[in-house]
Amino acid sequence: MAVTALPRSETGLGDRQRALVDFLSEASGADAVEIGRIALLPGGAIQENWAIDAEFDGGRLSGSQRLVLRTDASTGVPSSLSRVEEFAVLRAAFATGVTVPEPLFACADPAVLGKPFFVMRRVAGSALGRPIALDPAFEPARPALAEQLGRELARIQTIRPPRDDLGFLKTVGPAEHIAEFRAYLDGHPNPRPVLEWALRWAETHLPEKLPAVLCHRDFRTGNYMLDSAKLTAILDWEFAGWGDPDEDIGWLCCKGWRFGRLDREAGGIAEREPFYRGYESESGRRLDHERVRFWEVMANLRWAVIAMQQSDRFLLGGARSLSTAITGRRATECELELLMLLDPAGVAKYAYA
Amino acid sequence: MRDLPASRDLLALARELLLDELLPLLPPERQRDAHLIATSMAIAAREAASKGWQEELTGLLRAFYGENGSLARLAADLRNGAFETSPSRAGAARAILWRLTIAKLREGNPHFLAANGFTQAGLRGE
Repeated sequence: MAVTALPRSETGLGDRQRALVDFLSEASGADAVEIGRIALLPGGAIQENWAIDAEFDGGRLSGSQRLVLRTDASTGVPSSLSRVEEFAVLRAAFATGVTVPEPLFACADPAVLGKPFFVMRRVAGSALGRPIALDPAFEPARPALAEQLGRELARIQTIRPPRDDLGFLKTVGPAEHIAEFRAYLDGHPNPRPVLEWALRWAETHLPEKLPAVLCHRDFRTGNYMLDSAKLTAILDWEFAGWGDPDEDIGWLCCKGWRFGRLDREAGGIAEREPFYRGYESESGRRLDHERVRFWEVMANLRWAVIAMQQSDRFLLGGARSLSTAITGRRATECELELLMLLDPAGVAKYAYA
Repeated sequence: MRDLPASRDLLALARELLLDELLPLLPPERQRDAHLIATSMAIAAREAASKGWQEELTGLLRAFYGENGSLARLAADLRNGAFETSPSRAGAARAILWRLTIAKLREGNPHFLAANGFTQAGLRGE
């Protein structure tokens, strides 16, 4: 969705708007701030994103500004980072030259909006995955985009522990992921033998450990913005943490994020080759395809668990959302992919026309 | 005997009405919801028409385990690597996994199966 122009009809912070104006004035050093329009941006199941047009009189943002205010959605599922922590990760990424919206201010004080939030610049473009993968207008630009995403990911991975500003980030390796997925399955009423089989494979094929890097943990088509065909922002850093450098590669390439273009293995936009080339040229690290395959298995396991957690919000939490409820069905798609990744002989046996 | 038209025919007509006539009238931001409704109706229709692969799965588990077979037991054994020293048992367990997964997707998402090259296979197929 293009967010450079806001609908006039939507306003939404109600009596909190005065407090927000005061906060923005103080944080920016402005003499006055006037908010023109506020609109809730679509697509925030876990976070709310509010587009704000504001006029700053003096201070570091003097003039007209297009901003996004990001805060927790009231009905969301918990993410791993708070908004203030996500702001710190975004600052680190911005300082490293990753293509992200410039982070401006964070507010942990619930007295302002009732919940913590941060403010960043609003960039032009749309992050909708399906058009990015399917719209013919993007066709000529897709290989270059995949290469750029590889370079961006390598740049993200230059952020490494220890970092005083990111001391809250936890290191999560494959063994911890496996334990977490099993703990989830233990609490689920339906047995999932395919997931158990794949988890056992992962447990017995742990890759050699590499130094931890910053993992975005949702680096995929649908979480970056394009303006025409130009990459304008990598979004949604709420799951970031320290981990294996191949984890994000497996996530972007896993089948669940190809938006109907299963043949384009790099995020539904291109072959792997340009994505890998961009990553390898920027990072100087040659990718081990077996290692990436391990992380693709892990990505499918994670996708399956996330899908089941979504339908749990209906099954256990009573959320009356069709979109949420039906997502649980996608876990079986992940199971087919796990079988295809780990049992090529079975593919030959069962996939016949 | 139930009244006619049968529920499967009503469901098919309702889905056609939704996709062909109502969906174009919806604003773009609600069209995805209409597709989700259509998908749910299609899943319901396929499951209602299913011949009941669960019984066949029970049979496979009985053949594998004897009388005390269950998916829960299979899941627990796979977690513990119970068949890793017996290639024939491991292969037989994997066959159940394939059949179960394909059967579920034939009802839940046959397009995904077809897109991955699985056109005819199912719980009965081999």
